[in-house]
This record gives sequence, structure tokens and C-alpha cells, in this order.
Amino acid sequence: MRSHSCPLSAAVKNLSDYITEMLKNMLVAGPVTHKIIAEYLSALSARKDSGGHSVFLGQVRADVVAGKTVKAIEYSAYENMVTAEAAVIIETILARFGDVRSVDIVHSVGIVMAGEISLFVLVSAGHRRQAIDACSKTVELIKEKLPVWKKEIFEDNSHEWKQPGLA
Amino acid sequence: MQVRVLFFGVLAEITKTNSKLYGDVNSVSHLRSKIFDDFPEIVHYNYRISVNNEIISDDPILKDGDEVAFMPPFSGG
Repeated sequence: MRSHSCPLSAAVKNLSDYITEMLKNMLVAGPVTHKIIAEYLSALSARKDSGGHSVFLGQVRADVVAGKTVKAIEYSAYENMVTAEAAVIIETILARFGDVRSVDIVHSVGIVMAGEISLFVLVSAGHRRQAIDACSKTVELIKEKLPVWKKEIFEDNSHEWKQPGLA
Repeated sequence: MQVRVLFFGVLAEITKTNSKLYGDVNSVSHLRSKIFDDFPEIVHYNYRISVNNEIISDDPILKDGDEVAFMPPFSGG
């Protein structure tokens, strides 16, 4: 992980460079801030090949579990495998949706407070239909394929793994 | 030979470690039996195993330097 810079701010030279650059920036410590999101959205004005962009924002919800309110989620990730799997997701989306020009993913690791953003997905396409459909499919694949785990932290500082898998 | 075993999510919590080295293991099933000896409570949890970032469903032979991860169900996003 390193300080965040937006891959779209540079011209896309070729696909593998683009994916490599995107993956370097996809995990951020703490929330996906409004500043990060704004950088990606600001860079869209340079994307004159695209007629539609679709955004998904995942937010930490203050669920109430057995009378206790979630105050934050702590995300942990198998970082090497996250980037390997994310590359496969992007290649899958680009192969399936021929009108899609780019797929960007930013995911949190560490503590994200309720109300903050933990996942940002931005899909650009020539036309709106594939931008929307590909964004939805990207989010589904992230949920299914990325080795990331969330621990819910409650207001009394107790915690619970979101999917403990207790047999 | 030696392999590095990584534990994630709730498995890191119950084993109280993120990473542990195991020597003289010839296969994933052999490694798993050693891990069950060290951390018997793991048997109560659902998990998948990857070797060098690839999720496995069979019982591959392990070689020196392999990275084996025990991963509970994913819950990103």
C-alpha cells in the first residue's frame, strides 16, 4: 500500500499498464475518503472515449446485533491474493462487456467507522447500459472472490466476525 | 523444507497468529493434520485453503517455500 494516486489521472497507455497501476492503488488504509472519490470523478473529464460511468459506494452500516450497535468494521485482507484476484475480475469484466473502457476498484483495509465508505467501484463504458451492468457484476465478483474479511466492532468495543463460519 | 502458513479472519484470532512456519510436511493433508494438532478448535470452522494464491480443492504436494493460507468465507465490500 502507498499514498493514493488516481490511475485515471494519467492517460491509459495500455491495458496491462493500466491494470498494474490500478492494483497498486486499490487497497487503502482506513476509509475510502471523499478526497479519493473526488480524484477519480475529477479525472473522468479526460475520458472522452466514455459516454457513461457507473459508481458503486459500499458504506459501513450501523447494524444492531443482539442489542449492540456496530460502530466500525475492521477489514483485513490477503493482500497478494487480493491483487491477483482483482486482476482476474477486471479481465473477466473487460472480456464480458465489450463496451467497457475501464474498471477501478478501491477497497479499505483497517478500521472504517459506520457511515464511512469502504468500497468504491467505478466502471466507464461507451454507453450507459454496459457501464451499469458491468459495475453491478464487478461488485458481485468482489464479494465472491476477494480474500477480505470484516470484523464488526460494537460500541462497547466487543467484536464479532461478520461470517464466522462456525460449523 | 519449510512452508509458511497464513491464517486470516477469525482463524487468525483463534490461532493467535497471522503466520506460522511448518517443516517436513509433504502434502496439504499432512500439513492440515499438524495444524489440527496445534489448533484443534479450527475443526469447528469453515475455511478454504490456498497454495501460493490459488485456492485448492485437491491435496497437492508441498514444496519448500510454499505459502499456504487458511481462509474463512470472504466478507469484503
